[in-house]
Order: sequence, then C-alpha cells, then structure tokens
Amino acid sequence: MSRLLVVDDESNIRLLYAEELAEEGYDVVTAAGTAEAVEKLREGVFDLAVLDIKLKNESGIDLLQKLVKERHDMPVILCSAFSCYKDDFSAWLADGYVVKSGDMSELKQEIARVLAKKAQRQKTGA
Amino acid sequence: MNWECCWNKDAVALGDCPNLREGDEDLLEFPQCRILEKCCDCPNFKRDLERFQASGHPLGPVFSLIHDEYRRQKTHIQSLISFLDSKSLEIRFLHELGSVLQSSVDLEEVLSVALTAITAGQGFGMNRAFILMVDHKLDHLKGYLAIGPRNYEEAHQAWDEIAHNDMDLQSLAQSFRANKLNSERAKFHDILEQISVPLANTSHILVKALDGKQPLLIEDAFHHPDVDPGFAHLLGVDTFLLMPLVSRNRRIGMIIADNCITHRPITQEDMQSLETFTFPVAFAIERASLYERLQEELNRVMEAHNKLKVQQELIVKMEKMALVGRITSSIAHSIRNPLMIIGGFARSMLKNTPTGDPKRNFIESIVGEARQLEGVLDEILNYSDSLYPTKDFWDINQLVETALRDSADILRTREYESTFSAGNELPPAYIDFKQVSYCLRIILQCDLNGAGRKRLVNIGTSREQDAIVIRIQDHGHYIPQQEMDSILVPFSSTQEMGAGLGLALCKTMLEKQEIPLNARTAPEDGIIFTIALPIHKEEQL
Repeated sequence: MSRLLVVDDESNIRLLYAEELAEEGYDVVTAAGTAEAVEKLREGVFDLAVLDIKLKNESGIDLLQKLVKERHDMPVILCSAFSCYKDDFSAWLADGYVVKSGDMSELKQEIARVLAKKAQRQKTGA
Repeated sequence: MNWECCWNKDAVALGDCPNLREGDEDLLEFPQCRILEKCCDCPNFKRDLERFQASGHPLGPVFSLIHDEYRRQKTHIQSLISFLDSKSLEIRFLHELGSVLQSSVDLEEVLSVALTAITAGQGFGMNRAFILMVDHKLDHLKGYLAIGPRNYEEAHQAWDEIAHNDMDLQSLAQSFRANKLNSERAKFHDILEQISVPLANTSHILVKALDGKQPLLIEDAFHHPDVDPGFAHLLGVDTFLLMPLVSRNRRIGMIIADNCITHRPITQEDMQSLETFTFPVAFAIERASLYERLQEELNRVMEAHNKLKVQQELIVKMEKMALVGRITSSIAHSIRNPLMIIGGFARSMLKNTPTGDPKRNFIESIVGEARQLEGVLDEILNYSDSLYPTKDFWDINQLVETALRDSADILRTREYESTFSAGNELPPAYIDFKQVSYCLRIILQCDLNGAGRKRLVNIGTSREQDAIVIRIQDHGHYIPQQEMDSILVPFSSTQEMGAGLGLALCKTMLEKQEIPLNARTAPEDGIIFTIALPIHKEEQL
C-alpha cells in the first residue's frame, strides 16, 4: 500500500483527500502546514506527497523546494486552486500539477501515473 | 523801353506768353505769382534783364545777380523736393514692407516678401536677388532662395506680366509665394546648390561682408581681388550688391542683388535704401525661424504629451488589470476550495447512496451544479489570464503537438481520429504560448452540436506571408455559418457561462494579441478553424 502525505490548510479538504484517496487504497496522512508536514516526514517514509500551494501564510512551493532537495526520491504533486502556477518555473520541480476540483479523478490519475513512474524508475534503477 | 516779357502787365491772356499753357489760368491775372513761377525762367525776361543791365542803370547788375541766384536756389529746391518725394515713397514702401514683415511668422512668406521687394519696380527695382541663409548646425552660409529672370526673354515676359496685373507689393509677394516660389527655387537650384561657404572661411567675400555687418557694392567682380573668380562666374555679373542680414549680432544670412539683365548701375543710394531694408528683413527671418523651431518643439512636446497620455492610460489599464488579477486570484482561492469540498463530498456521498434512494437525485444535482460552477470559475479565470498576454517566439508545430497530446484522451472518448500535417521549416511565431495552447485545446475539444460526415479532425500548419497559419478541420461537426458566427461572439446573448463559452473566449483572447480566429462551416467540409499567428514583433511590422 502506497503511503501518501497530503498537505492542505483547509481541514475539510484534508478530510476529503483522506476519504477519497483511502478509498483508492492509499494510506493517507494529512498535514495542515509546512511545520506539521516536516514533522510527519521525520516520523515516517512516504511514497508521494500532495501539496497545496497557498498554505495560509506559507508557500507550498517553498516546501516543494525543500522536499526536492532533501527527499528527492519522493515524488510531489501540486494540487492548487490556481492554474497559473503551472507557468511558475518553481512549480516545474513537481512531478505533477493538478487544479483542485470536486471531481478528484484527475488527481487520482495523476497520483497513479506518478507512482507508476516511480516504480518503473526503481525497477530500472534509474 | 519796350519789354519783350509780360512781367509788367497786370493781366495777360493765354498765347501772350510762350510759357503760359493750359492749366496756368490762375496766373493770368496775378502778375506776382506769374513773375516768380514763369517769367524768371522765360528767355524773354532774360533778354529784358540784359537790356536793363545794358541801359546803364546801377540796379541792372544787381537784378541780374538776384535773378541768377533765385534760379539757382529754385533748381536746388526742386531737387530737394524731388529727393523728398523719393524718400517719402521709400518710407511709404518701407512702412508697407515693415507691416507685412512684422505680421508674418512664416519663413517662406517673409522670404517671398523680401525677394519681391528687392526686385519689384515699386520696390528697389533690382533685376535679381538671392537669399543665403546661415546653417547654424553646419556653420555654413548656404544658398536658399532666389528670384529674377535668367535671360532677356524671361525678363520681358515677367515685367509685362507685372505691369499688366498692377499689383501692390503685398499682392505681388503673395502671388510669388503661391505660384512661383517653388519654380524659382528649382530655376536657381544649380546656382543655390553651389553657394555653400564655411563661416570659418573669413577670406571669402560673403563671409567678409557678413562679419563686417556692412553692405558691400562689388564692382568689376571678375577682377576684384577679394572675389573668388568661381563665385563671380557662378553669378555671371560683374557688379552686385552684398547685403548682410544680421539680427542682434546674430548672423542670419545674406542678400545678393544685381541688375544682370538691364545692367543699370547700382548706386550708393540703392545701397543705402537696401541697407535700411535689411534690418527688418533679418529680424523677420530670425523671428520666423525661431517660430518655426518653436513649432517643431511644440509638436515634439505635443507628441511627447500624447505618448505620456497613452502611457498613463496604459498604466491605469494595467492597474485595473492588476486589480482584476488580484480579484480573480482571490476568487480562485475563496471559491474553488469550497466548491471542491461541496462537489467532492457530494460525489463521495453519491458513491455510497444506493440506486433508487430518493436522496440520490438531490446529491446528483449538487454534483452537477458544483461541476457547472467549476466550469464558470475556469472560464472567468481564463478570461482574466487573457488580460496578460506574455509574448515570445515559439515553435508552432511543437505547440500543436502538445495540444494534440493534451486532447488525446477526450478525442479518444469521442471516438475521434486526428491527423497532423506539420509545415516544414516554419519560423517561430510571436505569441503568448499559454493562451494560444489553451485556445487550440478548446477548439480541439469543443463539442458543438450538429453531426458531421466522419469523426475526424485534420490539423495543418503552414507559412502564409508574415504569419504561421494553423488550420483545424473538424469533419465531425457541422452547424450553419450564422450559428457559428454567434458562437464566436464573446458573451453574446446566445451564450451562457459554463456552456460553450470557450470558443468565444478563445476569439477574445486571440484578438487581444491581434491574432484572427476564423471559422468557416460547410456541410461537405465540417468546420474549418484558421488561426494566423504573427512571426514578427509588433514594432517590427
């Protein structure tokens, strides 16, 4: 079972992620902000992280940069209310980008795609 | 003694005296006036005086002396009157000239008046005149304008014309300006072009006259030690007048005047009169030149003002756009998250609600409405994005391939096939990549009503003049052209937000980049979209 870390400042969204992604068979851990996410990361290993970009007074992009630097083996998907961050070069560090929607099929597909890619990479040793 | 003259008669009749003619009737009965005006000049009176002197009367020589002195004084007075008359005429002329010159700030008008005054019969009556102007940038004295005939035939023709029209100076100047200024300039072009003397060349007669600020009458120019023979040959006359134009110690130019046709000698009086005339001319030329420069500066200031105004409007517009950006950003965050929660949980509930449960319809409505609202939100955000086109040069074939890849799933779902014919060696197009990609995806993914002949979309790129044209032919749809046109009108009454606004939004977006989006529809072809993308930056066009 793949373990996912979901970071979003909205509690209802965290709950929605947790329910929907758990239904897909993932082990979902949520965090409300950067500090909590770092703490959760210190406590355990995750196969993938889903980050919101606007985290109250923090930036998901900063967390993304930190993760890429320190956990380069863990892929990250940005899931944001803004489509324009796709054009922000910093967002290109992420393995995937999804615009938030009540229909979570795109996010689910993206998670599956990124995890499959990671598995493929591990298999080939790249 | 019998006198021959009628001086001793109280009254005479016409015919009694050879000096009395018609018009002299007033003198017939007034001997005193008659003696002073007529008798003193009469040969009969002269003989009477000689006889009186011969008679031995002691007053005889005295009378003769007084008579001679009287006649000398009378001649002198007459010459003074004549001089006074000519000066009065000159003053009247200069006054007229001054009025015209003072009222004009148009350089060509001033020069027309000046040249006409020099050459007109009622003016200074010279045959030909040149005006040279100081080019302060190049520090040269250069030929600028000339007037006058180049040969006898032309001279007689011009003088006949002037005599026939009987115009005053101002009218002559106006006529010259309106009808002859350019032709005279062209006529003397060969001479004017060759007159260009550096002001540093102080040995040149023109610069000497200008620096001396005094008029010079040059005689025997071909042998004059100070005159360059080439210059004398250029003018083709041996006598000419140089009149420097100086205003407030500033060197303005030079007038050269001559009598190349009549060869009438140029007198000191001519020179003095012309000298008086050059002051107002120099001043008027300087004023007109300054006015011309002032106008140029004013135009420059106006142009700068207009540019500033445009910039200011642009800044205001950008501020408004930034405001729109902030608002839409706020909307994105404030609306999308709740929508996601509503729609997401509704979907979640729907999955767990058994078929046939009456609540299912309600939940489906929530899911549907949330989806609809997400669509509206996307369109609003895309529209606000369209306000900020960020242009650069992009490879269009790559852009099409990306859009096709992004649309592959949707096309597959609709059982559509697609082909792409990429143009060879296409230059990059100057576009906002994101917006054009969006538009292309919308066109590829739009699901219009009206079934076409086959489910196929062909895309092609090609170079057409200064544009790269993307042609998208959708064989799977056909709708009447009128309906097609209305679909492309942004926010038209036939459109509802979230219900096919995409194409209209694309047109608006592309129009902001001055990229035309056309759609043609025909039953046999389906719908053909064409987008012409520029290959140059706007300022290169």
